[in-house]
Amino acid sequence: MSHPDIPRVDAREKVRGATQYTADHALPGLAHGMLAVATIGRGRILSLDTDAARRVPGVRMVLTHLDTVGLQSAGFLLGGGYGFQSLQPLLGAAIAYRGQPIALVVADTLEAAREAAALVRATYEQDAISVTLDAPGAEILAQADSPLPKPAFADRVAGDADGALSAAATRVDATFQGPPQHQNPMELLATVAEWSRGELTIRESTQNAEALRHGLAKVFGLAPDRIRVLSPTAGGGFGQRNSLQAHTALVALAARELGRPVKLVVPRAQIFNNASFRPASRHTVRLGADASGRMVAAVHEIDHQTSRHDLFPLSYADLTARLYGIANFRGRERLVRNDIQTPGFARAPFEHIAACAFETAVDELAYALGRDPVAFRVANDAATDPLTGRPFSSRHVVACLERGAERFGWERRTQAPGSMRLADGTLVGWGVALGAYKAATAPAIAMLRVTDAGEIFVSVGGHEMGQGIRTAIASTVAVDLGVPAEAVNILVGNTGSVPQHLTAGSWGAATALPAVHKAALNMLRELERLAGNGPANRTFQQILRDAGRSHVDVEARHHAPGQPDAIFDRVAQGLPAAAGPAYPDFVSMSFCAQFVEVRIEPRTRRIRVPRVVSVVDCGRVVSPRTARSQVLGGVVWGIGAALREVSEVDPRYGGFVNADLAEYVIPVNADIGTIEAEFIDEPDPLINSMGVKGLGEVVMVGVAPAIVNAIHHATGRRLRHLPVRVEDVL
Amino acid sequence: MQSFTYIRPSTPAEAIAAMAGGGPGTRFLAGGTTLYDLMKLGVEGPLRVIDITRLDALARFDTSGPHELVFGALARMSDVAADRRLKEDYPALSEAMWKAASQQLRNMARVGGNLLQRTRCAYFRGGAPFACNKREPGSGCAARDGMDRGNALLGASDACAAVYPGDWAVALVAFDAVVDTLSPRGERSIPLAELHREPGSTPEVETTLAPDELIVRIRVPRSGAGRGSTYHKIRDRESYAFALTSAAVAVRLSAGVVAEARVALGGVATRPWRSPEAENVLLGQPLTEDVAQSAGQAAFAAASPGVHNAFKVELGAQTITDALMIARQRAEQP
Repeated sequence: MSHPDIPRVDAREKVRGATQYTADHALPGLAHGMLAVATIGRGRILSLDTDAARRVPGVRMVLTHLDTVGLQSAGFLLGGGYGFQSLQPLLGAAIAYRGQPIALVVADTLEAAREAAALVRATYEQDAISVTLDAPGAEILAQADSPLPKPAFADRVAGDADGALSAAATRVDATFQGPPQHQNPMELLATVAEWSRGELTIRESTQNAEALRHGLAKVFGLAPDRIRVLSPTAGGGFGQRNSLQAHTALVALAARELGRPVKLVVPRAQIFNNASFRPASRHTVRLGADASGRMVAAVHEIDHQTSRHDLFPLSYADLTARLYGIANFRGRERLVRNDIQTPGFARAPFEHIAACAFETAVDELAYALGRDPVAFRVANDAATDPLTGRPFSSRHVVACLERGAERFGWERRTQAPGSMRLADGTLVGWGVALGAYKAATAPAIAMLRVTDAGEIFVSVGGHEMGQGIRTAIASTVAVDLGVPAEAVNILVGNTGSVPQHLTAGSWGAATALPAVHKAALNMLRELERLAGNGPANRTFQQILRDAGRSHVDVEARHHAPGQPDAIFDRVAQGLPAAAGPAYPDFVSMSFCAQFVEVRIEPRTRRIRVPRVVSVVDCGRVVSPRTARSQVLGGVVWGIGAALREVSEVDPRYGGFVNADLAEYVIPVNADIGTIEAEFIDEPDPLINSMGVKGLGEVVMVGVAPAIVNAIHHATGRRLRHLPVRVEDVL
Repeated sequence: MQSFTYIRPSTPAEAIAAMAGGGPGTRFLAGGTTLYDLMKLGVEGPLRVIDITRLDALARFDTSGPHELVFGALARMSDVAADRRLKEDYPALSEAMWKAASQQLRNMARVGGNLLQRTRCAYFRGGAPFACNKREPGSGCAARDGMDRGNALLGASDACAAVYPGDWAVALVAFDAVVDTLSPRGERSIPLAELHREPGSTPEVETTLAPDELIVRIRVPRSGAGRGSTYHKIRDRESYAFALTSAAVAVRLSAGVVAEARVALGGVATRPWRSPEAENVLLGQPLTEDVAQSAGQAAFAAASPGVHNAFKVELGAQTITDALMIARQRAEQP
């Protein structure tokens, strides 16, 4: 059954400016915070002078590491805790990275807080720093030998890759560099904290309200039920909002000490240097094909950055091992410890850059074999999962490639680099690449209520950050219950109701919708029972009134295939509990094929992307409108990552140098041509009752390598780093 | 950001008097797109701000005069960009506006204040811990051995290689514009080419304006090369970005050869950079692609590139070449 193309349920509020984001909350008596941050790359605070800051009129408090006795860190999200990193600023004098907060100033006005924060002075003892993959002093740790849990973070191996590689008839060997990049959601990181009778309310746009609640409970030694986190709508998340931020507990502490609500909106430059980002990574890919042109061996070795204080695990080879049916695969993943805040997940965190390294090498191999890049990919598709031998729950890679090729007009492409030049000398290149992303599932509880006034309320674990989860939920309920989507009231991101597990990893729809669907079916059964033998064709309202009921509540739970019911205990503790892509009986992934045209100016060599065709296999499409938006957004992210975005690092200072939206160059409308999105729209028969896989991340994967491959087709140059800028093609 | 006194005079005379009585740490404020930004960054910390946006007489501009174009200092960039006559007669001036900043910024920013936009050098804007001779005289230059992709190749000194970031002044310097100012000592006119200083050993002194001097208008003498002009800007994205390299060029052709040539460069120099070297290559020659290439190369003959900005020698020369090809097409139109 195909779902109706309903408008975004929150569109009207958004375009009217009525949607309330965190910074919009103006509570009575609100005080304003501003952070002062470390200017050294590593070391410790010797002394802090806050006198001048305290003298600014309106300043109520200057919080430093001397004022945080009794507090403890909430721990690292991927280390059993709740924070984006384990290091909670202001718990001590040690400085681990430039931009680490050293004080929180709170004042009656934002202006006073800003002025005072700039007056906080520190003296430091300074240590040498290493902030890049190759810097002296960077500590390298093989993930296989690390304390990270196995088998989740063991090397991915199938067959004998090195043996098969040395026996291969044709080989390529390429090293690819991925830069650090920042997610830069439009809404700045912000918190409003308010205490009332010993209970804490946090308003903060997040992807993980439950982690904020339990993380703060740990920091303050409070029972989690004394804390409420409200995140009705986030202005973008992209992984940067997936856990407790560095500032949140400090804002809560200030609010408690002052006995009034406190708001902090973190300036963009501070976010760059004190929140999660996409780490730098380096990939060596070796591929081998036999005499028939079949890929028989692949080695993918990756180094990526982590902080000194946390091990941010790598999961790049988990993707590249599954892009093709390559029988012999060896992944090797290493952590490089730098003096940085802990990096983390940024949309398609591993997959985007892993696919970029791998798919540019595949293109190179196709050229070495004289094969058309689409035909070569079709010929090397996988029948079963190379890592586990299990079947894929669904895999429409060939359909993505073939439909994309047709829509793009690929048959008009000529193979030789530089062969599609225009009369004025403009270089034209057409490139293709595959994308894939795990179809993960997290546990969710859905509660559904129908009232005798005809109202419908849904509460489910999930967070709206602009991707459209409310619209997908409304669409699901509307179809199941036969009601208009606008009649459905949705509560998400609110810890006052059902547990709010992390929404990330493209599992939002596959997590919330099956639970909502199940609840809707339960509701229909319950209403049918209440209707008994009464007259037919009554509305829900009439059935309830006739039965003398003010409302009916139902609940439903859903978790990943193979997970025990006890997994809900983890959810209730605010811990990550998602599973996939490997389930007991199958492996489940979303796929896409990206086709890109680039045009490069004859003299000044600006690279433009006039058109992209993106064909996606994400299972059933529940919300066509927001799904299409996801594709457009993912492709724009891919164009930005391929051609523009880099968080610049000066190895002498640490931190990031271009820390604002004028100098960190995300694409603008003028950089984007046509983007055509097409969906296979085949329900996955195994993954869940709705047949949905994931969408938000897979649509970014493959865009960057398709662009890099197209640049090769235009120029004959194999470029092995991102972003590719004008100086690379002059 | 620190507290400051805010004054809003209603005549130029009042504004000058306020500045004269204000002493050090007093700043004129027009659109605020640079000053407020730098105040929030802590780079600027004025104690008194004189808001001149109510000086309505300075907001007018006239592109129809027989001898010169006149732009009041407080004309909005967006209004000048939208002027049809300017678009037709002096496309380089119009394009320099269109390609600057964003529509929102152009709605606020004024053409006089725009001339004084300060550099985007990250070490200048970033504050501590970066050394910056422009921000803190004598503290050193972190950019020199750092991320120098945005640094100047022309007009730099040991003390500073910060690029002048604007577009408008580059186009103006190509057309020999003049800036009229007002101070307690009366009015004077400064050729735009003499308004900005190279950094030398005092990079904190960016212009030849006296501290109490107010730009009241910009005048551009009419030129036979106006229609044959363009402002060509190469940047990391197609809108809302500063120039990697830019070229304001204007040509007048006569009997198949270049009779008048104007070439100025942006994104690569410490001030709006006129290139007589490029102009001399063009004069008296037919404007072929080869000649344009030679002119582009001549403009960068004296360039001294750093580590990450060396590509701008080639890119800058190609930018001039492209600009000249566009200008030729316009100049040849009847």
